[in-house]
Amino acid sequence: MPVRVLIVEDEPNIVESLSFILKREGCAITTELDGVSGLARLRVERPDVLILDVMLPKLDGFQVLKQIRSDANLAELPILMLTAKGQQKDRQTAEELGVSAFITKPFSNQEVVKLVMELAAPS
Amino acid sequence: MARELVGYKIREARKTAGITQSALAKQVGISPSYLNLIEANRRPIAGKLLNALADELSIDLDSLTGKSEQRLIDDLITMASDPLLNSYALDRGSIEQLVGRSPLWARSALAIFRAYRDQSQAVTALSDRLNQDPFLNDAVHQMLTQITAIRSASEILDSVEDLEADQQKRFHTIISHESNRLSKVAQSLAEFFEKGDQRSVGATPIDEVDDFIIGRGNYFPKLEQSAHNFQQKLEGHGETVEAALMEFLHRRHRISVQYVMPESVDLSFFRNQCTFVEATRTFLILNNSSISTRRFQLARLAAEIEQADIIAEEIDDPNLTTDESRIRAQRAMASYSAGALLFPYERFLSDAENARYDIEILRQRYSASFEQICHRLTTLHAPDARGIPFALLRTNPAGHTTKRFPVAGLMLPQGGRGCPLWAIYTAFQTPGRVTRRLAEFPDGGRFLFIARTVTKQPATFREQQFLYAVMLATDTIHADKTVYADGLDLTTRAIADPVGTSCRLCVRTNCLQREEEAIIKSDG
Repeated sequence: MPVRVLIVEDEPNIVESLSFILKREGCAITTELDGVSGLARLRVERPDVLILDVMLPKLDGFQVLKQIRSDANLAELPILMLTAKGQQKDRQTAEELGVSAFITKPFSNQEVVKLVMELAAPS
Repeated sequence: MARELVGYKIREARKTAGITQSALAKQVGISPSYLNLIEANRRPIAGKLLNALADELSIDLDSLTGKSEQRLIDDLITMASDPLLNSYALDRGSIEQLVGRSPLWARSALAIFRAYRDQSQAVTALSDRLNQDPFLNDAVHQMLTQITAIRSASEILDSVEDLEADQQKRFHTIISHESNRLSKVAQSLAEFFEKGDQRSVGATPIDEVDDFIIGRGNYFPKLEQSAHNFQQKLEGHGETVEAALMEFLHRRHRISVQYVMPESVDLSFFRNQCTFVEATRTFLILNNSSISTRRFQLARLAAEIEQADIIAEEIDDPNLTTDESRIRAQRAMASYSAGALLFPYERFLSDAENARYDIEILRQRYSASFEQICHRLTTLHAPDARGIPFALLRTNPAGHTTKRFPVAGLMLPQGGRGCPLWAIYTAFQTPGRVTRRLAEFPDGGRFLFIARTVTKQPATFREQQFLYAVMLATDTIHADKTVYADGLDLTTRAIADPVGTSCRLCVRTNCLQREEEAIIKSDG
């Protein structure tokens, strides 16, 4: 069974590159460009891993993360958060809200693939 | 120190001039024995007698009183309180020695310290700006996002060997597109830093203007004369000063004055409850402003226009180093001129002396505000017609100093962190009431403090009422000329409040209000 990954990121070129490399690893990819659409998609089909950017239009990544963790159906969803800031306080906020893993831009493709596969592995 | 030096300086100057005590005493109309007591610093001296001695001995009054030296000492004491110099345990005695023996080296040390302080502030401000500036934050975010897209696409091109031609083209296009966006962000960043005034980040225009005014003794004779001439022009042109100013502005400068309702305008354009609309040559004043505000702002506008050349001359000063400093100084000079127009020097001084400096009487007589009268009282320094030397301080409830004018022997707090026992801070406990206190400093200096809160009323319900406090201070030598000393025994030390300038500079170790350790050690 392919690993199902939902990418919620508003930069189309990053989405395209991430989708390409993850598909090559056998993942099935769906994408959304803003926080509201991302939440709506999650409530319809639950992926194996969520890749979530922090700086999103309509609803930022932290708000999305908070709502996910307060939803009993999604509380255990593995979430990899992307951020361009990498500041300590963002990392701390993400950890307090229950993120599974955190990676800062600019990241390498290999780092993303490694983390996604780790998160998708049965615990 | 200043007072201690006066007698010795008179003696030194007299001896240098080759004049006997008897001859000098006769010239100024006092007995030789009294002059002897003065020279031995056993009698205070001020006012007309001091002026007369300075004239007879042909010496500058400031150098005789040690005013400029006292300022240097005060500035060096402030410098010594900087954490950088903690370990040197500088005390007042050593500072006075340095000033007394090597004034040029003392001034050099102060100049170097100020340069260091300005650079430190610039670095801190730049650092804060980098961390908090929204443009920079956004630019950094964009750059990292674009670099991520470029890196990701590059890695794919580099590592995937079986990439099809259209896929290769696609990722090359991504790199090209994101590189282009990255270039634009980099360019806008470069422009951002080019436009930024690095000096203004660390500059203190308010301090520069304060120093400018203090350096001139808060007395500008050309502005006084010009205001006097202007007043002559206004006579006969209206029943009230307000009417005369409005008529003058209209007749000479085609400026009309309109009173507007606060709810009908954008208050963000109104400073001091008024604004000048250049396009229509209209001066708008909020119709709920007080008479004192209306008069003052009309006078200010008239002064800005009518005395523009003289004001420009006054602020052509090398100590005003930035455009902001010069703009602030220009505003300050316009306010000074307005005060000189509304409170003509000779009449005001006479009224002040007759009323024994009762601010309330003067305020009502001149339809002025408390602060306007206080400010005018600090400008009475005409050489042949001096008023009592007053210091002025204005602060907000947070303790932030928003206006300051010192007087010899009294160090005023800069920015904030003043002594909480000063009347200007305790005045907030009794809003609207004049608070008078006798204060004694560790060096024995004694001053009468007169403080009151002032309220800036909101223009509409949505605005907040704003409170601040204004204080005048004068040496107790002059205090008995004021109503505020009535009932106070100025000779009894016990009734004075023991105060300092700030906790860091105060040696009163047993003060219950002490908030931080003193930096300056006592003289032992």
